[in-house]
Amino acid sequence: MNPPGSLGVLEPNVDEQSSTPILGPSIHSDNPQERIQARRLRIAARLEARRREALGEYLDGKKESEEDQSKSYKQKEESRLKLAKLLLCGTELVTNIQVATDIRETHRRAEEEEIKRQRVEKLENEVKTSQDKFDEITSKWEEGKQKRIPQELWEMLNTQQLHCAGLIEDKNKLISELQQELKSKDDQYVKDLKKQSDDICLLLERMEEQVKHVMKNFRQELQLIEKAFEVERQELLTSNKKKWERALQAHNSKELEYLMNRIKKVEDYEKELNKQRIWDCEEYNMIKIKLEQDVQILEQQLQAMKATYQLNQEKLEYNFQVLKKRDEESTVIKSQQKRKINRLHDILNNLRVKYAKQIKQFQEENQSLTLDYKRLVMQFKELQKAMRHFALIDGEKFRDVWLMNEDEAKDLIDRVFAADRIIHAQHLGLPWTAPDFWFLKNVGPISQQQQKSATQIVEEVLMQTEEEVEETASEPESYLDLPKQVSARTTKKILMLLCDESGFLIESKLLSLLLPLEKSERYLLKLDAIFSALGIESEDDLYKLVNFFLKYRAHRILSVQVKPLQQASVEQTSVASDLELEEQLEMEEEQEESLEEEEEQEEGLEEEGEQEEDLEEEEQKEEEEEQEEDLVEEGVQEESQVEEGEQQEEKKTLPSPWLIHPNDVLKILEAFVMSLKKPRDPRPPVRVPKATRNDSRDSEYWHALTTVISPTKQNLWDALYSALQKYHLVLTQRAKLLMENEALEQQNTELQMLLQQYLDSKINSQLRVPPTQVLRMPTK
Amino acid sequence: MQDPGTPAPPMSALSHSSVAPQERPSTVGPTASTQPSKASVTLVSTKSKKTGSLGNVHRMRRIIAEDAEWSLAIVPLLTELCIQHIVKNFAKNPILKQLLPEHQQKVLSHLSTDLPLEVTANLIEDENYWRRCCMQRWPVCHVARHDGSWKHMFFERHLENLLKHFIPGTTDPAVILNLVPLCKNYVRRIRMDQFLPPVRLPHTPRTGDQSDSGSEGDMDEPDTDHYQLGDLVAGLSYLEELDLVYGVKDCGMNFEWNLFLFTFQDCQSLAATIKACHTLKVFRLTRSKVDDDKARILIRSLLDHPALEELDLSHNLIGDRGARGAAKLLSHSRLRVLNLANNQVRAPGAQSLAHALAHNTNLISLNLRLNCIEDEGGQALAHALQTNKCLTTLHLGGNELSEPTATLLSQVLAFNTTLTSINLSCNHIGLDGGKQLLEGMTDNKTLLEFDLRLSDVAQESEYLIGQALCANREAARQRALNPSHFMSSMTANVLENSAG
Repeated sequence: MNPPGSLGVLEPNVDEQSSTPILGPSIHSDNPQERIQARRLRIAARLEARRREALGEYLDGKKESEEDQSKSYKQKEESRLKLAKLLLCGTELVTNIQVATDIRETHRRAEEEEIKRQRVEKLENEVKTSQDKFDEITSKWEEGKQKRIPQELWEMLNTQQLHCAGLIEDKNKLISELQQELKSKDDQYVKDLKKQSDDICLLLERMEEQVKHVMKNFRQELQLIEKAFEVERQELLTSNKKKWERALQAHNSKELEYLMNRIKKVEDYEKELNKQRIWDCEEYNMIKIKLEQDVQILEQQLQAMKATYQLNQEKLEYNFQVLKKRDEESTVIKSQQKRKINRLHDILNNLRVKYAKQIKQFQEENQSLTLDYKRLVMQFKELQKAMRHFALIDGEKFRDVWLMNEDEAKDLIDRVFAADRIIHAQHLGLPWTAPDFWFLKNVGPISQQQQKSATQIVEEVLMQTEEEVEETASEPESYLDLPKQVSARTTKKILMLLCDESGFLIESKLLSLLLPLEKSERYLLKLDAIFSALGIESEDDLYKLVNFFLKYRAHRILSVQVKPLQQASVEQTSVASDLELEEQLEMEEEQEESLEEEEEQEEGLEEEGEQEEDLEEEEQKEEEEEQEEDLVEEGVQEESQVEEGEQQEEKKTLPSPWLIHPNDVLKILEAFVMSLKKPRDPRPPVRVPKATRNDSRDSEYWHALTTVISPTKQNLWDALYSALQKYHLVLTQRAKLLMENEALEQQNTELQMLLQQYLDSKINSQLRVPPTQVLRMPTK
Repeated sequence: MQDPGTPAPPMSALSHSSVAPQERPSTVGPTASTQPSKASVTLVSTKSKKTGSLGNVHRMRRIIAEDAEWSLAIVPLLTELCIQHIVKNFAKNPILKQLLPEHQQKVLSHLSTDLPLEVTANLIEDENYWRRCCMQRWPVCHVARHDGSWKHMFFERHLENLLKHFIPGTTDPAVILNLVPLCKNYVRRIRMDQFLPPVRLPHTPRTGDQSDSGSEGDMDEPDTDHYQLGDLVAGLSYLEELDLVYGVKDCGMNFEWNLFLFTFQDCQSLAATIKACHTLKVFRLTRSKVDDDKARILIRSLLDHPALEELDLSHNLIGDRGARGAAKLLSHSRLRVLNLANNQVRAPGAQSLAHALAHNTNLISLNLRLNCIEDEGGQALAHALQTNKCLTTLHLGGNELSEPTATLLSQVLAFNTTLTSINLSCNHIGLDGGKQLLEGMTDNKTLLEFDLRLSDVAQESEYLIGQALCANREAARQRALNPSHFMSSMTANVLENSAG
């Protein structure tokens, strides 16, 4: 009981004692008073050191504060460690009881086990001995049964009884022993209970004590920490106060210094101010005098000004009156005018309304008329187309009929000629010569080359090309009769160029009118106007123009050889040369760029030529010169626009009209006009009606055909005919006689044959008198 | 309850005067604004016939009429009176949820604590009310042991009280089962430190007359079955902790063995109960004479339990077979704490536990105090600790361990970084063993507690081990405070230690 309990109590003391020597004698001592004392001493020492430090050195305040912090921190750490230790010790103290009980329990268990073992051993031994005894007794029972003598039996029974009693006594002893043990165990239990309650009491006591102790310690440590903090704070306060005082002192001294300085300065400034004031006064007086003088002068001037002012005022007033009157007059006039204006405005408005109405009306009219016109134009065009078509067909038919008749006539003539020849050769014995007439060689209808007007040609060209475009090369060769192998397309292109370039020749009104029309029609009308302006009337003129253009181009290419343009007449140029030129052009097209320089030279040459020409013909045409100038300007302007689009087209068509630069067109035109003027001065304004065929020579022709055989010949033929008739009669008679003769001959032969037959037949032989004998065979 | 009109009413009049203000303002309130004193007087007089006691009323009237200081401001508000009325009739007509929060507070602060639980249990959530209830009923209240909730505490302790005094066969089971729907949401744990056995004789079991017969017969055992927890536990949907002791408290000299019988029937039903309770986290069955067979039955029912974290079977009679069962449980559950203190586990049992421990990753604490595992078991456990990376607390006090175990443990200590607490008290470690443990401790930086009391270790080595533990504790504290400044403080501590 006691040893474990005392052990539990002793344990913490041992622990505490063991911890003391290591923790240091002063601060970590077991005795709290001593510890506190030690700590106080330490703090005092630290404070002393810090004060000295604060007084001595001022700079490392920062470091100091850090140190302060670390000091309080240290205090905290210390307290914490101490308290942790305290707690640990306390819990150890408390748990020591448990541990003690545990070990007691283990000891008890060990003992118990030992006792148990002993007890079991003892019981086993006992069992063995009692069994032995029991066996002895039972064996004796057997013996007893054999005994017959009661004495002996009694004796034996007694002994048995004794034995049994011994056995039972043993058992009882054992039982009593065990019961004794049990009792002691019960006592033990009671004791244990008491012990446990004691333990629990101790435990509680210790816990309470622990709690108290811990609380006390915690409070103490808290106080210590607080104290440490307070001390720190106070130190901090004093040091800061000192610092503050020092700073204040320094500040005061500085303030004083500043004050002194300021006073000194104030005095200085005052002196200066006085000086300045005196000087200023003098200056002021001087200026005052001067200014007064000035004022006097100015006042004089003012008086003079006032006089002039009054004068002016009077003048102006008079003027004002005059103007007022005028103004009144003008207001009257103004009102009148205003009224007039109003009236006129009314009229104007009325007129405007009317005008608008009229415009509307006319627009409507115009619209309807234009619609009508368009419709009519369409109809007309269709009609024209039809007419052209029919004209063509008619022509063809006419030609066919003509040819047929002609053939017939020719045939007849041939036959006549053949007969004539035969007559001549056979009957007359004369050599025959074929007559030669002009009409014999003629084939087809006689056509007269008519002079067409230029516009007609143009129209045709245009239509043709149009149709060509529509039908795409259906009749390329059947172009009417553009001579000189200038293709329709080329012509058209040249004309288009001309039309584009010489728009100035057309009246502006016409241009505006042309706008709504179709493109081809526009061109046509434009060309018409241009031609009329240029004086081109006939077809020839047109061809001349076209050729002129081509020629010009050729000339340009063969720059050096060609004579001046105006001298080269259109008729002189042969077709072959044209073609050759065109071929050459083809070749040279590719070298165009290289030739550009030459072209420029040529242009220069041409200009020279033109200038010469101008000089010659100045008197004749003055107006055209003016035009020319305009043209040049325009051409220059248009040059850039046209160039690009046209140069691409150049390569498509062989005799490309675009080879003629649009700029050159006007020069060519001018040259052409010059050349045209000379041969033809009077202008025949007659216009041949279109498509009327001349049939005056037809009758002549046909008549001529009938007179192939002359009347003398006819007479001859008549005479010959009668003679021959007679001859024919004689011949026919002769023929008849001949026939007769022949028939008789045949009859004769036949009869001879028959006779022969008879003679040759067998009957003759049979006959007594053959006829043959009778008859003499006519010898042959 | 104070009457505003009466400055000092006599005690006898208190009951009557308390009636008057309650009735009066219910009608007076609006009319009193014009002529407060007169109206109140007349009304009191009219009401007086109903109240009956005329004399008192006359006195009241006089007092009110004469009171110069009476004013409307002293008249309680209608809301106040309504609240008082509600409080008064709360048992019959509980109105709480419909009130405004401030009125709710008032009502709750005035409610009586003896209201029937049927009314209050599911209606009142206010902690203050339940606190009052608890304080009134029990002098000592550790609310922290009940999740800090007074309501939980009230119901748990109420239920425990009922269960503690439940005598099978005599008490009506409905007493407890009726409580289930009321308390099922609030009971998290049941801590039972006694189960009363059924009464076999007209006497209470405390009479102790038949003390001899109780300890003898197995025949009587079926009769001593305790209360079956099954129905109750099935009803409690949030039960997390079950702390049971099959025994009788305060028997003193009336001790009888049959008071402490944990029968097979009890065991079977308990096993079924805990198996069915999927929310159970802590199961304690202590001081109940659980032997191997019963322990195995219980443990079998706990295998693969979804929530169980702590198992405490201390102070029982569990031997090696029970320990083997516990070892199996270790590998088939998420047990974190296992307590087998004060049992009869010997070396084989410890070996099987060690085997299970070697690869366990859940167990944090293992307590084998007061067993007899001896060196063989101790060595096996030490071996297991070489591979285990989870266990933090190990209690091997009073286990007859000696030097070989200490040698192995010192090796474990050298490189184990999870263990924080080891208890080897009450063993025979010996001087050499202590030295070896000291060697092991020099390399360890994580162990915070190492109990070597009464284990024959030299004081010097014990002291040095204590120093090492101190250092470890300091380091752990620094780590917990601020991991970044660990190094600097470490050096500071080292300096301080060296200085000390």
